[in-house]
Amino acid sequence: MTKVNFEWKSMSIPRREFLKTTTAAGALAASGVGFSSSASAAGGTLKTRTYADMRSLDPAFSQGVVDELIQAPIYSKLVQYKPGREWGWKKDAAAMVEQVDDTHIKFALRDDQGFNNGFGAMTAEDVKYSFERHTDEELGGTNGPDMGALDHVEVTGEREGTIVLKNAFQPLWSITLPYITGNIISKKAWEGAGGKISTTAITASGPYMHKSWVSKQKSTLVANPDWKGEKAAFDEIQIFHIDDEKSAEIAFEAGELDFTRVSLGSVERLRTDRPADSTLDEFPSLYYAWVGMNVDNEKLSNKKLRQAIQHAIDVPSIMEAAYFGAAKPSTGIIAPGLSGHREKSLVSPEQNLDKAMALLEESGAGGSNITLDILNKSANVTAAQVIQANLAQIGLNLEIRLHEGATFWSLGDETAGDQWKNVELILNRYSMTPDPYYATSWFTCDQVGGWNWERICSPEFDELHAAGQSEGDPVKRDAIYQRAQDIMEETGAYKFLTHEATPVIYRNSIAPGLRPDGLQLLRDYSPA
Amino acid sequence: MLTFITKRIGLALAIAALSVTLLFIIIHLIPGDPARTMLGPKATPELIAEIQARMGLDKTLPHQILIFFGNMLQGDLGMDIFSNRPVATIVFEQLPHTLALIFSAIAWSATLGIFLGCFSAVRRNSLADRLTGILAVSFIAAPAFVIALYSLLLFAVELKWFPAIGAGTPGDIGDIIWHLVLPSFAIGLSWVGYIARLVRASMLEILGEGHVRTARAFGLPEKWITYRYALKLAILPTVTVIGVGMGFLLSAAVFAEIVFSRPGLGKLVIDSISTRNYPVVMGSVLVSTILFVASTTLSDIVNAILDPRIRQAK
Repeated sequence: MTKVNFEWKSMSIPRREFLKTTTAAGALAASGVGFSSSASAAGGTLKTRTYADMRSLDPAFSQGVVDELIQAPIYSKLVQYKPGREWGWKKDAAAMVEQVDDTHIKFALRDDQGFNNGFGAMTAEDVKYSFERHTDEELGGTNGPDMGALDHVEVTGEREGTIVLKNAFQPLWSITLPYITGNIISKKAWEGAGGKISTTAITASGPYMHKSWVSKQKSTLVANPDWKGEKAAFDEIQIFHIDDEKSAEIAFEAGELDFTRVSLGSVERLRTDRPADSTLDEFPSLYYAWVGMNVDNEKLSNKKLRQAIQHAIDVPSIMEAAYFGAAKPSTGIIAPGLSGHREKSLVSPEQNLDKAMALLEESGAGGSNITLDILNKSANVTAAQVIQANLAQIGLNLEIRLHEGATFWSLGDETAGDQWKNVELILNRYSMTPDPYYATSWFTCDQVGGWNWERICSPEFDELHAAGQSEGDPVKRDAIYQRAQDIMEETGAYKFLTHEATPVIYRNSIAPGLRPDGLQLLRDYSPA
Repeated sequence: MLTFITKRIGLALAIAALSVTLLFIIIHLIPGDPARTMLGPKATPELIAEIQARMGLDKTLPHQILIFFGNMLQGDLGMDIFSNRPVATIVFEQLPHTLALIFSAIAWSATLGIFLGCFSAVRRNSLADRLTGILAVSFIAAPAFVIALYSLLLFAVELKWFPAIGAGTPGDIGDIIWHLVLPSFAIGLSWVGYIARLVRASMLEILGEGHVRTARAFGLPEKWITYRYALKLAILPTVTVIGVGMGFLLSAAVFAEIVFSRPGLGKLVIDSISTRNYPVVMGSVLVSTILFVASTTLSDIVNAILDPRIRQAK
């Protein structure tokens, strides 16, 4: 790889404080802090771990957390997530970013931003190219939905432009800009490569650059010598692909990793007995797990039966048995710290046998045989067994049906056949990004037969979901999503279980940069 | 001999084609959609349809099979829709790791197993024979994944003699061998037992035959009789077992690949099946099948070379 120093002229940009960032919806606090929080001490090698192999170095084809883990340190964004226990963002390549109205966001790039390998300064044209390709249907990228509200990017100067949205879209500040779709790539480099790349890097604009990728083994990043910002904290970052958490724990104990997520089952042991000079940190996760009920199924169309099941399930027991006490019961689909989180659910997480029995009697479905479909993960099996015991207490016989991944994920899909009709109870778990809009997206009427497996269709819910996307007042937005979750619960089709947890262990020689949900921000790692 | 080899290779190709066709049908009959697995909740109907079209899933199954074999004959195993890379590249990146693991396991286990088998046979019913027998059966009884985990905990975590994860730095032979020691030990141990018992039984049978008695009567040295005459015949069933064993070692290699976080064909197949990554599944299965059929064919040919009666009987 030829390294050519940046050659671009300095440009004066008014460093205005950006305004109107209230659109961050309260969940994201505008920081206005300096560019990088990495420690100034440089050097050494950081060895960390990811649970899956890298799939692509092209943001348009990024397939989620793992690809973003690698892309985030090598591509700059206008704004980046801020490490810490509270959600927020900080400016990155943007010297200024300002929401002027619901659909217009002005930005100006810093004058020291550029691409290595001779691709020059970062311009507003690069931003336009990077963002608009996500919505290019011909390109067929996989992240279009996250950039869905983008109409176009208007270039107003060499390093200045305006993001124009089709409609107000609050997740812009919590998902679109600081996550996968926010990565800024070089138009010149990409066009030279035919419009897309796979696993070979062609340029970098961040503090690190991609050195190598050994399939199913590791990715290696090295400090980008052409980076003009604060010096990269490590000379090299090795990201090992270890899918099994237990194997990763062993590798950590053997001294071959500096950081790894650990299994929930190991948390209790690691709290008291962990390798010397290491720290265990526990973060709440954004994932949400719940027991859903298919209201279009003949048996479960009985609302009283559904409500009886809601009250019969004892979530604290599931937390103890399946999550080893390392996770807490949830109140809905929106985790603490995000707009719309509810402090309390309508139905208590604890079992209420009397109420369950009374509802079951009203339903006239006592002694029914019911099925529960689950994914073949040990935590799910244990949780299902607890639910089976809970329902047996009110006289319902539960049959647990175990499925492997791809089969499970097509159970509620109408296009995959009629199996959705046989779904009764389902133990489900969805991933989540730090904006409530992402959580409610899957439970709308148009998702029935897609990802809405409970098949609840509530016009009020749909209206709230639509309103939540554009509501700029944090208090109102909070109320919108709280009401949306109330509606879900009132249908009787949901018993919320948990947001799980992200326990991580790391050597005391490093200070990891982590999001509030425990995901890694490699740019923000530094030696301790 | 040439006819024998030609027939064997022809049969091998037919078996490989049949196996791959059957597996193609089976994998496509299992419910599950790669587009939904790949995209998760981002899977809009338009994206799903587009990815299915790119994978050729909008065509009938017989059509897909014909396309697969047509492309395969031109050396094209298709594209991995998840990483946008050629399947052949992905599979051949993983293959050397699996081959290195299997061959190293076979090499050390066969060497030790044959030695232990001969050692037991020439000391039939002695204390050493009994101890070797107990040891061999213990090795057979120990599952590969248990050996893998315990060897990892002992030699990597506690003693830190060997690395715990990975396959070593590409191009650094010493490092690659260093990373092979524990996985190879884990999956090869039970084969030491199998081979030792097999060689012992074969040796005892051969050592009791007339031509061995005749050799003794002629005053040939016992070592010469044992290793030059008896072992040459006794090893024939072992060669066959090693050939078939390649297939079993492919399965055992999966455990080692998972426990030691090694790249390899077995893990690639498992990952690909769970995501319904059909092109990669088919490419991996095709190569595994060819590997298995080639090893059994090779063992047949070696048997025929070692024993003229076999090739004449065919």
